[in-house]
Amino acid sequence: MEAVKTVDLVKVYKGKETVQALKGVNLSVKKGELFTLLGPNGAGKTTFLRIIATQLLLTSGEAYVFQLNVTTEPKEVRRHIAVVPQDVQTYGSFTPWEYCYYFSMLRGMSRNEVQRNGEKALKAVDLWGLRNRQCTSLSGGERKRAVIASVLCSDADLLMLDEPTSGLDAVARRKVWAVLRELVGQGRSILLTTHIMEEAEMLSDRLAVINKGMVVAEGTPQEIRGLAKEKYRVVVEGRLEDISALQAYGRTAKFGSRQIFYFKAEDAALELTRAALKRGLKAEIAPTTLEDVFVELVGGEQFEP
Amino acid sequence: MNLKPLKDVYIIATMKAIPDIKRQPLTLIIITFLSFIPMFFTYVFGGQIIYALVGGMVGSIGFIGLASAVQDIAWDRYVKIREMIVAMPVHPLSYSFGVALSKLLYASPGFILFMVISMVFRILPLSSLGWVIASVFLCWAALSSIGFVMSTYLRNANINTLNNVSNILGILFIFLPPVFYSEQLWGSFQWLAIIFPTSNAAGLIKSYAGISPLTSEIALFRWLVLIITSVVSLLLVALKSRWREE
Repeated sequence: MEAVKTVDLVKVYKGKETVQALKGVNLSVKKGELFTLLGPNGAGKTTFLRIIATQLLLTSGEAYVFQLNVTTEPKEVRRHIAVVPQDVQTYGSFTPWEYCYYFSMLRGMSRNEVQRNGEKALKAVDLWGLRNRQCTSLSGGERKRAVIASVLCSDADLLMLDEPTSGLDAVARRKVWAVLRELVGQGRSILLTTHIMEEAEMLSDRLAVINKGMVVAEGTPQEIRGLAKEKYRVVVEGRLEDISALQAYGRTAKFGSRQIFYFKAEDAALELTRAALKRGLKAEIAPTTLEDVFVELVGGEQFEP
Repeated sequence: MNLKPLKDVYIIATMKAIPDIKRQPLTLIIITFLSFIPMFFTYVFGGQIIYALVGGMVGSIGFIGLASAVQDIAWDRYVKIREMIVAMPVHPLSYSFGVALSKLLYASPGFILFMVISMVFRILPLSSLGWVIASVFLCWAALSSIGFVMSTYLRNANINTLNNVSNILGILFIFLPPVFYSEQLWGSFQWLAIIFPTSNAAGLIKSYAGISPLTSEIALFRWLVLIITSVVSLLLVALKSRWREE
């Protein structure tokens, strides 16, 4: 069974300016998988998530959560989902424990369930020791983790998290990743949006790259990486005039005195690496990353031939 | 019987009030004192104590009803907590009632104090206690509902704009109609006082206090209007408020 399925999903915002945020999106998230929506700002990720979360009405097309229609059966859909919105803030006077209690009780969970799941969720995000501290006295990252914990301790079958780890430090982020993967292991489905490529790569069973309201690629992280035209990248750093002398080697992305060269074949990448080292430049060869493919797919970088 | 909607009202009302009150009990004292300010001026500048007390009762509860609906819900939307709740199995009526009730808890010490003063000084007969509470409760339900519908229709408004809207509504419903003064000042437009839930409730309380007695037919008619106003406002919330964005 699919946790989420959309057919030709279209969303048009009407106002002073009409904006078509989604242009016929067809996606499906399988039950028990972690699916990530990856896209630049304004790509339509949050709009997609909000429609599935029954917060926003679609313009045309169809959207289903566990075969329930989000337009005509929102009440039934809401029994199955829990959501962390983008840039969510906290009630200052609430404690992390009260967050878990409040949202879980509203979901209709029993006190015993809340007690059990709340403790587990707060320990998972490393907030158990701070469970009775008011959110006003917590750091931004801790407050975010309190909201995440409130969703983690729910009994929802489908969790939807809109950029949940933005603003978290690397350690906290990895803790959240571990919890999310554990939940997927227990059979829960997760729909996530993120800007963090490493997060998408480490967490996702499958992902979709969305740009200007359209899905431009879909598959496992390996499959998406496989879409790269070039399989190797060489990062060269040093004096600009020396780097300029290497331009003939291939397509580059420029970052001041640091440039990335992309190659289809390993031999050509090695040749450039040797040439760069000979000129006294720093050079490092590596396989193309998901970020390279992402930038290529969304056309966000001006490459030079 | 599905008791979840009622349970949700209880959870929202208690969780949005009790932690705050426990940690900031001074807020209760401040709100109670603020309720006394209009009453104080009404009394000092030549008004009768009964007008001041009735105005204080209706004003404190009515204003908190409007403010909670507009300001609190706008805040929930601003911090995106409302988005989380929309995506939960929570009925919009449970949410709006819960939010409104949470703020009613803040206003209740002031209201109780007004009631105690009225009873101790025999301004209101003890037998009218239930009627006074019922009329103020209906007035609160109507104003909370009006505020909730307003806040859902002004979803794109800035939070400061919504705060101003709530204050303007407060003036429109509490200070302009004959709540703190006699309906007779409106002359031939006196009947208009029945339209506003605030002045209608105040008129009924004044009649129980004996300062502007109503015939039993008129009293019954005013009760009916107050009940209808509240029911229509609640129906508006149930049918017209926009829980899901378009």
